[in-house]
Amino acid sequence: MIETPMIIKARLSPREILDKYTYVIRMTWIQTLEYKANIVVGMFAILSGVIIEYLLWKRIFITRGISEIGGFTFQALIIYIFFCLVVGQLKSSWVTSIEMIDGIREGELNKYLIRPISYFVYHLMLFIGHNSLYYLVYFFLITGMAVFFPEWVFPGWTHGVMFLITLAISVYLSYAMYFLMVCFAFWFGEVRALVIAYNLANLVLTGQMVPMQLFPEGLRNFLHFTPLPYLVDVPVSIATGRMPVEMWVSAIVMGMFWSVIITLAGMILYSRGIKRYEGFGG
Amino acid sequence: MAITTEHLTKTFRIFKREAGLRGALKSFFHRKYENFTALADVSLEIGDGEIVGILGENGAGKTTLIKLMVGLLHPTNGNVLINGFTPWERKHPFLRRISVVMGNKNQLWWDIPASESFLLNQKIYGLEDDQFKQTLNELVDLLGVREKLNVQVRRLSLGERMKMEIIASLLHRPEIILLDEPTIGLDVIAQSKIREFVKYYNKQYRSTFLITSHYMNDIQEMCKRVVVIHKGCKFYDGNFDILVNRVNPVRKLTFEFDELPLQHILDSLRNQFVFRLNANFLTADLRDREMNLLLSRLFTLNTPRSFSLEELPVEETMKSFFANPEKFIQGLG
Repeated sequence: MIETPMIIKARLSPREILDKYTYVIRMTWIQTLEYKANIVVGMFAILSGVIIEYLLWKRIFITRGISEIGGFTFQALIIYIFFCLVVGQLKSSWVTSIEMIDGIREGELNKYLIRPISYFVYHLMLFIGHNSLYYLVYFFLITGMAVFFPEWVFPGWTHGVMFLITLAISVYLSYAMYFLMVCFAFWFGEVRALVIAYNLANLVLTGQMVPMQLFPEGLRNFLHFTPLPYLVDVPVSIATGRMPVEMWVSAIVMGMFWSVIITLAGMILYSRGIKRYEGFGG
Repeated sequence: MAITTEHLTKTFRIFKREAGLRGALKSFFHRKYENFTALADVSLEIGDGEIVGILGENGAGKTTLIKLMVGLLHPTNGNVLINGFTPWERKHPFLRRISVVMGNKNQLWWDIPASESFLLNQKIYGLEDDQFKQTLNELVDLLGVREKLNVQVRRLSLGERMKMEIIASLLHRPEIILLDEPTIGLDVIAQSKIREFVKYYNKQYRSTFLITSHYMNDIQEMCKRVVVIHKGCKFYDGNFDILVNRVNPVRKLTFEFDELPLQHILDSLRNQFVFRLNANFLTADLRDREMNLLLSRLFTLNTPRSFSLEELPVEETMKSFFANPEKFIQGLG
């Protein structure tokens, strides 16, 4: 028999809570490292996007015989799009969200509900963990870009700091938006189509494929009232020096505002949805 | 009192549709919903340290009851209190005191060794290192899986995975443990190991166990008390042996005569009792009272070369019970 009596804690300390969730990130690293080929392919997947964009815009510039589009030279445009693809990759949570939808539909949510963990935070950590191995590769790529193209990438050190802050907001906001969509699974079961449609819209409307500055004015003005600019356009505009310094604070405030709103909406939907949950299986 | 349920009811809204593409298209435009009552007005009280079996045919409502008790479902009506907590509020102090093992669902990460999932649970439950290691070592040794700790979960056999799931669920030494079909799909050795483990754990830590199982040997070995759920209602709540006895009180006697009695004695016995005679072997399936009378007659006639008294297999008994439980309703408490 065990001599040491078990102490059941009424609550964990803040450090223990942090430990609990950051350990999830560690577990995803361990899990990801089990499949070497998947990591290697995933890390270089972004290159295919860059190559396609390079060839596409090269063709446009050549056939139009232009040296600039909407204030972008060809080189500046490619660098901007590269950053858009990197940020787009880092904030993409669709794999985690598909797993969450399946979890609700097939009863796999059970294992989270019976343990003292937050489903929202747990999956946020899973999402960060899945993507964080890519952070390492992209860190070197971005550093390389900053070294070779200093006039277009992080013109000042403050740009680098603000990029990281707005990137963190983007990652969180993106997750919160996916979480909100996942919650519809409590009512409709299969909502993969919603996530896929959102992803496709995201690719275009966040400026990943075409910079937002090149959108028609009406569309740009409409998107200004949505959270979408804060997902890709804001961090990339700051990184490439296209956003005036005086707009940085308001951009961060608005990014955080949308993060709070979307999170609250997700929490409300989740608390209503969980009452309908049928926990299939068993 | 560990667990109390009061008038617990759960109704699901379901729809049925015809098979085939036509049925699917029809259902796309119009669905006819109906209410299905999985659990109706179930009231229970379970004390600290009890091991209680929950029995019932497929679809009776056993798992629905378990899910309501751990807060996976919200009831349509009624209430559950577990050590003062309402399960579906899912307060962390409550979740740290309970554990659920569902036979066909797992909490272990599939692609990495179980030992990693155990470490994650240590963090989730906030267990101190020495407590965690001690508990883990004890559980691993009891279930005999030490050499499998660092093998990826996907490479383990079903029995090994089940044992790892049980370990993961007990690392925080919960006060209340719900096992939903814990031995499903396991071989007889693994089943026996888990039964022994449950009894040992209950004795050592006075944890309360609620077990659902279709294997009657599980129930017979582990549970003194059973609750039978039939069509969503509590049908029986009491001692399992009494239930078995009520359902099928017959026992089988095999009596080997040293020397066969005279024919007129055998005829006289046949007038009173129903039995079969094959060479020197007399076999009879009788209730207790008749059995006692027959035995006392036989012993006055002859000293047997051998004799045995067997109860009919529990599986057979419960099979006849579940085929028509209403037949046995009278007298069951």
